[in-house]
Amino acid sequence: MTSNVLKALWLLVLMSTIGIAAASPRTDTSTEPVVRNSAEAESMRLEGEKKFRANCGRCHAAPQKFPPRMMATIIRHMRVRATITDEDMRLVLLYMTQ
Amino acid sequence: MSFVFAAQLFAQTTESDHPVPILTGTAGYFNFVTAGQNQLDAQINPVVLLPLGGRWLLESRAEFEGAFQRPPDGGSYGGMVSKNLDYAQVDYIANPFMTVTVGRFLTPFGIFNERLYPIWIRSIQQDPLILPLSAESSDGMMLRGGFPANARVNLNYAVYVSAISTGHSNLQSNRDVGGRMGVFLPGPRLEFGASWQKLLQDQRTNSFGFHFAWQPTRLPLSLHSEYARSNQGSGYWVDGAYRFSQLAYWQKVMRHLEFAARAEQFFNGQISPDEAEALGLPGANTREGEFGLNYYLHDGLKVVGSYGREFSYTGNFNLWTVGVAYRFAVPLGRVAE
Repeated sequence: MTSNVLKALWLLVLMSTIGIAAASPRTDTSTEPVVRNSAEAESMRLEGEKKFRANCGRCHAAPQKFPPRMMATIIRHMRVRATITDEDMRLVLLYMTQ
Repeated sequence: MSFVFAAQLFAQTTESDHPVPILTGTAGYFNFVTAGQNQLDAQINPVVLLPLGGRWLLESRAEFEGAFQRPPDGGSYGGMVSKNLDYAQVDYIANPFMTVTVGRFLTPFGIFNERLYPIWIRSIQQDPLILPLSAESSDGMMLRGGFPANARVNLNYAVYVSAISTGHSNLQSNRDVGGRMGVFLPGPRLEFGASWQKLLQDQRTNSFGFHFAWQPTRLPLSLHSEYARSNQGSGYWVDGAYRFSQLAYWQKVMRHLEFAARAEQFFNGQISPDEAEALGLPGANTREGEFGLNYYLHDGLKVVGSYGREFSYTGNFNLWTVGVAYRFAVPLGRVAE
């Protein structure tokens, strides 16, 4: 009985995953934010700092700024760990790589 | 000038599209004195992060901890080195709202286990009394993500299914299902949420918990709290850390100094004291208060010291901690294009 329930649950999770992934809009995997000029870049950097303090500051103080290729890995890890939203992740990455 | 800035920005953002594998983690050394018994604790927790393409991440954390103390009748220090695989998981970012995780992962119950556990992050080094109430790692599949509900509210979630794993003592997991839901208000920097876990083996018990986190915008203060309840017991902890960065005097020193405190309580469940102690829980109803100072030599290196007292009908005793915690991060590839 338990085994059947578990199998059904696994099947449900698997089907949901495939369904949601297939039905969702295509994700732009590029982490490069669209920046048109330096004023806009500064505005996004400030927004990124705000997002950093709100999201990352929930658990720890600001770490040192690592090179962009390292920071991109760390941000991907933190996106999963801290369930940061897609938009916030991009802004935090921009802030942390300036 | 603006051209140079824009060119620099372009170079950086292009590089950030090509993440590099990283070896990171923490190392620490602590002296824990519990009821007069000194314990030397040395630990290293390496984390490997391996990004693949634009959507995949392989990540793993192991824990090597040596705890050494003198025998009660005297003599030299002795003890064991414990080894654990905390997580070894594959993450697939399916879309902006969902990540699919498969493998061994930290159980998303409450916030301490997933977010506050690393020694460079936690403000008080002792584990909360209620930490063993939920499984620390699970083997199976998890869906998780965060998304904005509106301009002022973000939601986050995690749901998982875990299979039983009994083979290797360092890789154990329970057969269970569970999840966590959180509401985050970025404006006041306030988060609250709830967790649930259903064991699908043995007594098929339910566990549930609530969590809370708040970082006021005007104060360098961080507050966290959790409540958890299961058949093994129940309890809560409240933890606060205040950075002295706003003090007007001795700025050079004070901005690196943090005062931390925790209050917690545990209530016995429907298991015997021996069973509780085997799980790492107190064998009796217990209250504990602890406070201390952390000094950040730099953001990844801190010296810690704290004092606490535990109260239960089996006896009251002092808890002293001094030590150092370090976070490292090194690239496993070229960091420049």
